[in-house]
Amino acid sequence: MKKSKVVSENIYSEIPIYPQRDLSYDFLGLHWENPFILAAAPSTDELDIVRRGLQMGWAGAILKTTSIEGNIVDLAYPMMSTFNHDGKKLFGMGNIDLISEHHIDKVEYNVRKLKKEFPEKIIAASIMAGRKEDWQRLVERLEKAGVDFIECSFSCPQGNIGEDPGKMLAQSISATELTAKWVKEAARRVPVSIKITPHVTDIVDVAKAVKRSGADALTAANSLQALMGVDIKTFVPYPQLNGKSTYSGMTGPAIKPLTLRTISEIARNVDIPILGTGGASTWSDAVEFMAVGAGVVQYCTAVMHYGFRIIDDLKSGMSHYLDEMKFKSVKDIYRKALPHIATHDELPRRKIRSHINEATCIQCEACYLACRDGGHMAIDRNPNRIPKVDWERCVGCGLCEHVCPVDGCIEMKVFK
Amino acid sequence: MTNDQIQMTNQQARVEAERCLQCFDAPCVQACPTHIQIPTFISMIKSGNIRGAAEVVKTSNAMANVCGKICPEEVYCQSVCNRANEDTPIQIRELHFYATQSEARKKFSQVKPFPKSGKQVAVIGGGPTGIGCAFELAKLGREVTLFDRKVLGGVPKNSIPSFRLTENELQDDLKFLSTYFSVKKEEITDVKFSQLKNKFDAIYLGVGLGKDRPLGLKGENLSGVYPVLKFLEAAKVKQKKMSVGKKVVVVGGGNVSLDAAATAKRLGAFEVILIYRRSEAEMKVWKSELEEARKQGVEIRFMTNPLEIVGTKKVSGIKCRRTTLSKKKDESGRPIPVEVKGSDFILEADTVIIAIGQSIASDIVNRFKRNSKGFIAVDKNYQTSMKSVFAGGDAISGEGTIVQSVAHGKQAAHAIHKILAGKK
Repeated sequence: MKKSKVVSENIYSEIPIYPQRDLSYDFLGLHWENPFILAAAPSTDELDIVRRGLQMGWAGAILKTTSIEGNIVDLAYPMMSTFNHDGKKLFGMGNIDLISEHHIDKVEYNVRKLKKEFPEKIIAASIMAGRKEDWQRLVERLEKAGVDFIECSFSCPQGNIGEDPGKMLAQSISATELTAKWVKEAARRVPVSIKITPHVTDIVDVAKAVKRSGADALTAANSLQALMGVDIKTFVPYPQLNGKSTYSGMTGPAIKPLTLRTISEIARNVDIPILGTGGASTWSDAVEFMAVGAGVVQYCTAVMHYGFRIIDDLKSGMSHYLDEMKFKSVKDIYRKALPHIATHDELPRRKIRSHINEATCIQCEACYLACRDGGHMAIDRNPNRIPKVDWERCVGCGLCEHVCPVDGCIEMKVFK
Repeated sequence: MTNDQIQMTNQQARVEAERCLQCFDAPCVQACPTHIQIPTFISMIKSGNIRGAAEVVKTSNAMANVCGKICPEEVYCQSVCNRANEDTPIQIRELHFYATQSEARKKFSQVKPFPKSGKQVAVIGGGPTGIGCAFELAKLGREVTLFDRKVLGGVPKNSIPSFRLTENELQDDLKFLSTYFSVKKEEITDVKFSQLKNKFDAIYLGVGLGKDRPLGLKGENLSGVYPVLKFLEAAKVKQKKMSVGKKVVVVGGGNVSLDAAATAKRLGAFEVILIYRRSEAEMKVWKSELEEARKQGVEIRFMTNPLEIVGTKKVSGIKCRRTTLSKKKDESGRPIPVEVKGSDFILEADTVIIAIGQSIASDIVNRFKRNSKGFIAVDKNYQTSMKSVFAGGDAISGEGTIVQSVAHGKQAAHAIHKILAGKK
């Protein structure tokens, strides 16, 4: 396709004309410039990369998980794969990456350097070890380097360098409590957060164990172990490494609802600060994470997909949201959704029926089909293709509302 | 885009925004003369941050609503959209308009106070380039007085047909912008210019064109013959009350002639014929304008040259001669039309509109060095042959786009600011 040539002109930088709203607040004994922080990941592994992220306006960064010198990090490539859905790429992202190849010596250096260059930003580090001495040594050295808080990875699902390969630390309640205690013992100055996994029978039990250990916070939750797909011609799953594959850690928009559940379940049952991570990509995702109990929100996959520049929309969107809601601070969002979460037996039982707005209906009959084959055969066809709900048969399940392609066309209303 | 086309719904905008590839160093940003950060505002529409999207647009382009409505996207942003390599380009202008109109319907975002850096600048001409320059200078902290002989708005106000741009859409921009500089209704004649020159630290000329070029043919003074600007201005003022008779002939071939032809058709003419001396391939028009004129039923007779306007007192027709294209090209790179002997014919007409180009109306222009086409000559800083006097818009480049004029004003503002900063 022939294109007109783009001539790059002498571009001056635009003068910002809109004031930036103060999004700062305190959480975990620290002052956060905004609730958006970079999760421990490739984006926080190299000094030059982190620096760019912080310059662009991120509140802070958790440097990629490090370990004690001599620990062998045996990476295998390619490590990335994706879950594409309905024409959308990267709906979920899978990785078989491991922890950083940089050992603690390099990370200490990076922490010192970043803290000096960005004293106002939150510089944290993520650690992983096996033995007690190593966990404690890592904590002590990072504290000395000037880190603001430490995150302990108890849950890297893609490979495990601990003493019990194949099992994540946070899948054992007693091991979680014990290890978290070691870490907390060593931390004299800075808060520690335990990064747990949603791959457990009862997340509340794990959170309680963290609480008992005395750790300051927990990070919920890590990526989800997943098989990203199978090549249906060769039968080699993704990512493909010369005929072999393994389970990936899945992140991205696809796991957001799972993370929301994990965070809210912890927040409803255990009194401990939570750093939210796993599936947040927009400012409204952050609102949701905070509403169910996250104090700050970590971003990773969205940055790896679209770059650090997404911070512009995160900050702008959050500011306008606060204005619209007449909230004074992002803290006003905190835990706002929790009172609305109940157990199933506590839910109100009302007579609900589907209402189709004939004026906005586009006659696709998607609702008719869904109700016929997956509901209660409660929608009737009409010669004009505008479906009609039979309120005798409709139970108000809500399926039609969700298959309807038009915003707000079908609504569930209380039946009088 | 005309008023017949409906603005995107929230859902349409979101779906379209989701198609954007979010290119790095996006070609659309480069192609936009005002360099709107297009991927950024589109990502904001996608995330539901509509107010943020409007802010991004307005930070770069002061005439946000006007450009959102009528900017010829096919020659700018959309012409280089990488999505076109996959399927079809993103409807960037529509998304831009959706964002700014959504904001205009609510309350405008609060703008932060601009710095005060002193020095006074006079801007002559209240069209897009004058407004673009005045607003950018205000952002930079300069005190600006804008002079216009009529009201703010320039070409969008006076001659862009209201079926393409409504008064409300224009006012949405002017309401937002006019509070940042003072506006004086005053015609700047040659004498007054000297006074301004003494009073202000710098002057920006956004005087535009405004003078219709005559055909130079017999019969041009007959009643019923209109120069195009007069015709379009009258049509905007009188609206439907203006009568053009049954048959209208427009002489032209540019965008303005298409505007005039489509306007005549909307005013009730039974037959509107646009005559152009070359073929469709040589027409320098935007696709959207051509489509709109054809949709209105305008007939275009290519390879037709006017010879004489006929009639007694009132026009009754126009005598034309067929042309053929020679192999020789003129300086614009287009083949030169040659008249075909013995091919004369007369088109009947109740109204004849002459739309063959414009020149600068303002008489202060005589003080400045001009380029080969008769427009004001400027250097790369938009400075004219007179020190501290700058110029931009149509007055330096001939009939151009609104967005180009705004960009001139913006760039000149930065040059003026820099020079004033050096002055004690």
